[in-house]
Amino acid sequence: MLTIQLIINALAVGSIYAVTALSFEIAYESTGVVNFSTGQLVTAGALVGASVTAIGPHLAPVAYLAVIVAMAALGLLFFVGAYLPLRNRPVLTVIIGTVAVGILVQNVSLLIWGPLPIAVASPVGNATIRLAGLVVPTHALFVILVTMVLILAVYFLLYRSPLGTQFRALAQDPETARLIGVPVMRLYALTWMLACALAGIAGLLLAPMWFVDVGLGDSLALKAFAAAIIGGFGSIPGAIIGGIAVGLAEVLGASYISSSYKDAIVFALMILFLLFRPQGLFGERVADRA
Amino acid sequence: MLRCSNLCVSYGAVQALKGVDLTVAEGECVALLGANGAGKTTLLRAISGLVRPRSGEILLQGQTLGGMAPERRARAGIAHAPERRRIFPGLTVLENLQVGATAVRGLGARMQEDLDRVYAMFPRLAERRTQRGWSLSGGEQQMLAIGRALMARPRVLLLDEPSLGLAPLLAEEVYVRLADLAHTRITILLVEQNTAMALAVASRAYVLEHGEIVLHGASAELMDHPRVKEAYLGA
Repeated sequence: MLTIQLIINALAVGSIYAVTALSFEIAYESTGVVNFSTGQLVTAGALVGASVTAIGPHLAPVAYLAVIVAMAALGLLFFVGAYLPLRNRPVLTVIIGTVAVGILVQNVSLLIWGPLPIAVASPVGNATIRLAGLVVPTHALFVILVTMVLILAVYFLLYRSPLGTQFRALAQDPETARLIGVPVMRLYALTWMLACALAGIAGLLLAPMWFVDVGLGDSLALKAFAAAIIGGFGSIPGAIIGGIAVGLAEVLGASYISSSYKDAIVFALMILFLLFRPQGLFGERVADRA
Repeated sequence: MLRCSNLCVSYGAVQALKGVDLTVAEGECVALLGANGAGKTTLLRAISGLVRPRSGEILLQGQTLGGMAPERRARAGIAHAPERRRIFPGLTVLENLQVGATAVRGLGARMQEDLDRVYAMFPRLAERRTQRGWSLSGGEQQMLAIGRALMARPRVLLLDEPSLGLAPLLAEEVYVRLADLAHTRITILLVEQNTAMALAVASRAYVLEHGEIVLHGASAELMDHPRVKEAYLGA
């Protein structure tokens, strides 16, 4: 029984890692840029959500909408302010640019929200439900549900819509995508909006579980990075499975081995993958990038 | 339909095109011949906007293309099937064709008609429609590259070395289809190293050497031209 409860908690934590890794992955797939500001974007999302819920707890569902809108707007700003001016430079320059964006976002967040931790209510409250002898926090179930909806939405967007085919064509061969008329700049803008919105939602999902401060996303982004590596960098299903795997390793490791080693367990797992299966669980086929 | 006048392109200090003049009339299939490195691919890349000319002009239906981005040129009616086919490896055959229609707006149900036309032309693609691009043979990839370009309902079709890397039999098959295509009065600019095949399909041809047009004329004339015979037909 206890194990099943732990697994549900692990799935909830893993879901948040998965959403963050998805944000990572979408930006990487479409632009080739590893976004090192993901952690700060997660934090920004959580803080925006915290401000909306602070107005009144009944606004908690509205907070999700507000975070999507605000973060998409931030994504557009990211695109115009950082990606557009740097896009013809070597990719490393763009990556360092994302570090700068992260620092900027973190400090602006600090300026607006201050250093004190903020408690955020979940739209489903902080109750627990009893289910066949299990005690499960409602927020954990909510997180899993929201994540499933997001994964489905991303799946349909990327694999079941004409826009998604354009996205994947762009990811596989940008030059040829331009030759067939794919509006590349619009898609890059959309990519950053989507990546920021996903990161923001990850932050808002995490907010009721932890206190929110400007450092909230930092460790989360590291775990999401580990998730992306374990799942296979460059693979969207890999990001999801990797996120869940990290959640499971962390929660089960904390309760069966030691909670002080839970981070070490995750990163040891990541290092093992880097050593013995660097392409991860769903390593991209080299031909897909040819 | 398509006209290049005094087109110059440089890569750093290297002049790839030195004042090229070329026209393709509506409904015409024109071949651009020349050895490796003569500048044929560069010319196509300049027309589709992937490289910026240093000077000179490219006109599509009398309108200068100036510094228009490649994706906008695609929407203006230029479809470029690039060298080495450049199939999207992770997309299925069907997705490759569908995404090829990106440049055409509001296609709706007519997309299926266009797909059927491409499948009728290359039945092999219909059989392989759910396979991913990377799993196709070279010949199938070439058919897909041509089909993908046709999905854009182009005003001008630019084909870069459709026979490159294909076994002779497959190259011939591709060229039989190209001959059919040329008969439909679609405007084609065909770059090819295989001179005999290209001259059989095209009505006119230009010969490019070291970035300059050294010869041009009707295919029948060029086929008998001593210089072409010696340098390109191996006779």
